[in-house]
Amino acid sequence: MKKILAPLVGDAPMVTAIGLCKNAGKTTALRRLMAELEDECLGLTSVGRDGEATDLVTGTEKPDLYIKKGDLFATARGMMSLCDVTLEAAALTGVMTPLGEVAVFRALSDGYIQLAGPSAAGQLKPLCASFTALGAERVLIDGAAGRKSLAGAGVEGAAILCTGASLDRNMDLVVAETAHVCRLFASRRPADAGLAAALDRCGERYALFTPGGEPRDLPLDESGLPRWNKLPREKCALWVAGGVTDPLLKTLARRGAPITLATADATHVLAGRNVLDAFTRAGGELVVRRELSIAAVGANPWSAYGWHFQAEKFEDALRQALTVPVVNVNEKED
Amino acid sequence: MELTLELREESGLQWVLERLTPMSPFGRAAARALRWYAPGEEEALTTELDNVALALELWNAAGGVPAQETPQCCCDAPRLDPSALKDLPSLLRGLTRCLPLFHDIRGSFDRDPENPFDLVELFEIKHFLVTLEQLTMAYAKLPPFQDLAFVPMEESLDLLDPDGRRLPAFSVSEAYHPKLPALRAEKSALERAIREAGPEEKPALLDQRHRLTVQEDLLELEVRRDLTRRLMARREDFLANMETLGRLDLFLAKAKLAKRYGCVRPVLSEDARITLRGLRHPQVAEELLERGEDFTRLDLDLSAGCTVITGANMGGKTVSLRSTVLSLLLCQCGFFVFAQSASLPLFHEVALILADTGPGSGGLSSFGREVHLLDRLLQRTRGQRFFLALDEFARGTNPQEGAALARALVRYLGTLDCVALMTTHYDGVSDVAGAHYQVAGLVREIQGDEGDDPRSRIARRMDYRLQSAPPGAPCPRDALRVCRLLDLEPALMELFQADL
Repeated sequence: MKKILAPLVGDAPMVTAIGLCKNAGKTTALRRLMAELEDECLGLTSVGRDGEATDLVTGTEKPDLYIKKGDLFATARGMMSLCDVTLEAAALTGVMTPLGEVAVFRALSDGYIQLAGPSAAGQLKPLCASFTALGAERVLIDGAAGRKSLAGAGVEGAAILCTGASLDRNMDLVVAETAHVCRLFASRRPADAGLAAALDRCGERYALFTPGGEPRDLPLDESGLPRWNKLPREKCALWVAGGVTDPLLKTLARRGAPITLATADATHVLAGRNVLDAFTRAGGELVVRRELSIAAVGANPWSAYGWHFQAEKFEDALRQALTVPVVNVNEKED
Repeated sequence: MELTLELREESGLQWVLERLTPMSPFGRAAARALRWYAPGEEEALTTELDNVALALELWNAAGGVPAQETPQCCCDAPRLDPSALKDLPSLLRGLTRCLPLFHDIRGSFDRDPENPFDLVELFEIKHFLVTLEQLTMAYAKLPPFQDLAFVPMEESLDLLDPDGRRLPAFSVSEAYHPKLPALRAEKSALERAIREAGPEEKPALLDQRHRLTVQEDLLELEVRRDLTRRLMARREDFLANMETLGRLDLFLAKAKLAKRYGCVRPVLSEDARITLRGLRHPQVAEELLERGEDFTRLDLDLSAGCTVITGANMGGKTVSLRSTVLSLLLCQCGFFVFAQSASLPLFHEVALILADTGPGSGGLSSFGREVHLLDRLLQRTRGQRFFLALDEFARGTNPQEGAALARALVRYLGTLDCVALMTTHYDGVSDVAGAHYQVAGLVREIQGDEGDDPRSRIARRMDYRLQSAPPGAPCPRDALRVCRLLDLEPALMELFQADL
């Protein structure tokens, strides 16, 4: 099999497949990667299943993962009967889901599995540790689908971003939206070491700093939100711990003075493309506390809703708009 | 007797229980269902206290938990052989390392034996048995606790661990069923073929594989059924071991608490006499410590009949009631007590009736509630030995009748098989009491701290010690001074003083 994803993720110990929408080809990308990493002992799990679990229970459409003997995977106990590998129960995680506690299994044969892992990002770290303790060389995560559910989804290591026709009927819009997310993920830590250190220490919901990282007064109203009209007129850096939404960015853009907006990581920026453009045009800059990286963008020209794009045209348009490699994860073996 | 939430909260037992830290789910279950040792169960309680004392010796030898005060074990606890002490830390770690590893699998055994365990349940049972084996190995080398033995379960563990490797993982291995090895070999060969197969052959091979997985599933089910029947046959032994683990864990937790707070083993007194030296209330002591003040330890001797405590407001009368009740409750639940020494009898019931309690009085006024609780207690304990602590009984009604009722109650309690302790501001109550204690009171003259917190100003002047007083000694008149120290409105103070 031609290796197209494996070289792109390099030796990242954790690879998360995330999707811009449902049916973006997350699982297909994951399967491709698993096939390319056939010599490694993998640990597999999923996060943020939201609606998909119902699909699993009703047994519709969602493709299974076919894993190889020796791989590890973490799934809810209720999923056991849907896995046809010869199972060895190896550990319990203490993470409860509606489908029961998440357990770690070892596959004693090749076969199909169904994943329903922890839904909170904080639970992924200890799970990865137990995968490693049980001998996994690399952890693959079937991540969240949809911008909103990406927020804080614990996308560590390398990510494969999957995009596709299911996002919208209009291809230009799909390309623009994908480029927008890639641009967010390209956000870096502040260049100023003082500001970077100040952000690392920051525990508040909102905080204001000088460009050099010196704390400044941030007047808050009764509900604990900053009084935006009282923000200083000169350049400064605003820390926002929660999600960055359209109204917030619009307010900052309207203010006129250039501002650096700092968030925990790129997934916290939920604002749309146009508003972010307005913000940057007004001199705004986006920095993050934790850098994320997209190793590759997977494109799925087929949608679940009856329309599809021309594969080559779609890929070309994406390549024009993006700096990250674009791959066709459905590419047949050659 | 039932330890109601109200009693636990008012006495401070709840505060103590919140600081009890069992390590296993079985220990936590045991702590939620504490055993109450009633009169006649002295022997069982002595065994329990012996075991806590032994656990305390183990903690002391291991030096594990930092003690708040120097722990003192005044009692006749089984002393450990000094030569055995040096290995104790590692042996004790053998227990404390295993206990937190247990999962609560009691629910799994609550089933029809024909309903097979699933793979994860079998994994959990194996994990339980492996951990139990490690724990019992360490336990066997320790000085033995009394009445605490584990049912050997090797047979069940061997059942779940046919290769004897004691690894913390479980699968339906081929050894369980004569048909499994061949089936799995066939399936494995097929899976290798699937890996190599091109897209045309693959669907047929996968189909073939699917048929084998269904067969494998059926064989595994058969194995799980069989394992379940054999494990469920030992259900009682499993549950007994879990209970034993809970008890062991609770001994260790009780001892750890005793070490942390410097508690002492209570001596069980033969007659109805309570002797407490250096008594303290840990919850109040901690609150005081936060304000930078010390708790004044109390000495109390109570015998059959009613003892009355009088003294200044804010002189710690209620705290002395709560401390006494807490000691009795702890002792009868097999805990060490918060004192320097304690000799306590066992009661059928220990009751605390406080003057003011929060909501939920069920439509009764504070007076109505007191009378109602008292009546119910007297009905319940007819012919049984009980302990009763009353805080300013009958203060909610008019003083003349209230004092008469309080006097009558003291007299009446004197005729019953009980030990009672009552605080009061009424004169004449102590005349009829068996004994009388008075708070030393506002005895210290201090000037020049006018700006300070009134609570601290009172605390500085107050001598909280309880002193024996002759029956009939008049109640101290300290309300005026307390009001002054609390900075009551001057105009009002003037009128108050003029009226006295």
